[in-house]
Amino acid sequence: MQQYKFQGDYALRRVFQEVLTQVLLDCEYDILVPIPVDLATWQNRGFNQVTAWLTDQPYFQALTVKAHHKSQPQSAKSRAERLRTSQPFQLVEKAAPLLAGQRVLLLDDVYTTGRTLRHAAAEIILGGAKAVTSLTLAR
Amino acid sequence: MLSEKSWFGRQVPQPSEHGAGRPALVALGQGWQCQRCHQWTHSNDRLPNGNGYCRQCLQMGRLTTQDKLYTIPEPNRFSQQSTPILSWLGSLSPQQQQASRAVLQYLRAHRNHLLWAVTGAGKTEIAFPALAWALAQGWRVAWCSPRVDVCLELAPRLQRAFATTSQAILYGGQTRPYTYSQLTICTTHQLLRFQSAFDWIIVDEVDAFPLRSSPMLQSAVRSAQKPTGSQLLLTATPGPDLQRLVRRHELAVTYVPLRYHGVLLPQIDVQIVWHWRQRLENGRLPAKLTQQVRRYLADHQPFLLFVPHVVDLQAVQAALDRAGILDAVTVHAADPRRQEKVLAMREHRIPFLVTTTILERGVTFANVAVIIFGGDDEVFSTAALVQIAGRVGRSAQYPTGEVTCYCHSQTRVIQGAQHMIGQLNRQGRLLGGRIS
Repeated sequence: MQQYKFQGDYALRRVFQEVLTQVLLDCEYDILVPIPVDLATWQNRGFNQVTAWLTDQPYFQALTVKAHHKSQPQSAKSRAERLRTSQPFQLVEKAAPLLAGQRVLLLDDVYTTGRTLRHAAAEIILGGAKAVTSLTLAR
Repeated sequence: MLSEKSWFGRQVPQPSEHGAGRPALVALGQGWQCQRCHQWTHSNDRLPNGNGYCRQCLQMGRLTTQDKLYTIPEPNRFSQQSTPILSWLGSLSPQQQQASRAVLQYLRAHRNHLLWAVTGAGKTEIAFPALAWALAQGWRVAWCSPRVDVCLELAPRLQRAFATTSQAILYGGQTRPYTYSQLTICTTHQLLRFQSAFDWIIVDEVDAFPLRSSPMLQSAVRSAQKPTGSQLLLTATPGPDLQRLVRRHELAVTYVPLRYHGVLLPQIDVQIVWHWRQRLENGRLPAKLTQQVRRYLADHQPFLLFVPHVVDLQAVQAALDRAGILDAVTVHAADPRRQEKVLAMREHRIPFLVTTTILERGVTFANVAVIIFGGDDEVFSTAALVQIAGRVGRSAQYPTGEVTCYCHSQTRVIQGAQHMIGQLNRQGRLLGGRIS
């Protein structure tokens, strides 16, 4: 994970593609929403470590990271700091009509305190989704 | 603000006003060649935006086809030193002096040189006079090793021995920033960041993993050296490649077959224990082995018990437990408390360590015996066995000790190790080596 995500070894995405495809087949959802990366990370890393695992499953990038939300990454913080993190996400324009009444599955790489996913879920619910579940690769 | 010195003899992706930049990845055939590590990268290794990137030297920071490497040719801009450079006050034995003169002679001739010195010969000190000479010439020198433990142990010694020379230590995950220094102590990985920088490179434990099996690191050493520079290779157990170069007279060699205290190397005593692997799986150790362990414990003799694999550590610990020996402490490469346990062993707070080959080299315990359990397992190479045996009798106070190897059958590898020790001891005897 270290080599894939932080050193940016994009080729390692293939390691988890198969298992994720299998698990997604067993999940019941209408819309798949991956957790986004912020712009600086995107420019640095060159890929989103979550969407890179998807092969041809349709997904909807309903969330973006707020432009002014610039702090250290979750992985560099202590537990207490992580739990205090403020809402980093916002819905993209026109997301609400697409999400209304749908069952949404959030997809992320690592679950530690759950802070990130809870923030994301709150936004999705505000967007009108019927139910939100989450899937993470590692805990 | 980085000073331009940060680019002297290096190749780094940070742009410099004075340095020339060149693409980090150069298209070649179906893929690219990375200009930092000189390895090939496959055209499938692309980011979503289509840029290629090098997977081989990723841990030094990812290089893509968009990156450039910047360098300023090494100018050797060091302040002239007037005081005596060598502040080391120890003295060399006659054999060490002889080897030391050879090292200096090859250095002055800009020739690569292998110093084949037995474990515990004092290789580091042998290189001191030549190093002092090189530094007096204003040369830039790297003392590198594939093992970070070796670098960490070496740095304070070199600091004391060359107190007036600017020194830097570089290894993965360090917190101190890079400084331009005349003497650089680093892991072989760190040499990837240099280009034609060093007039002399000393490669310590040249046959150790991962340098031995990594073309990337081998090329890193070559390209960190100036075209006019040379290398000094240090090891007690050169691999077949180096020995072949020596036989063909393509590499000069100096032997130091005798330890500095003048006592011969301990020979490996082989004990045959049939089916030790199956017995271990049933939770049992050979009776001979448990008896020996009990004897060491009763005599307060510290010892190291080497096992082939990390998974065997627990099995051996459990089997020792069952035999009523309860104080077993285990250690392996990824053990987070490794340094702490080694220190406890060194300070005699624990009677013995059960270890993998991680402690095969670069560690010194004053008075220690060694047991190798499963010496016929393929992880123990001839070099590894000689190195392990070399843990014994390193100090002048306790120059002897026992090395016992338990195995299902004598293998060619074990015989090779006994042969190598025998050969060195024959040479050592000619120089007046004693048995005790």
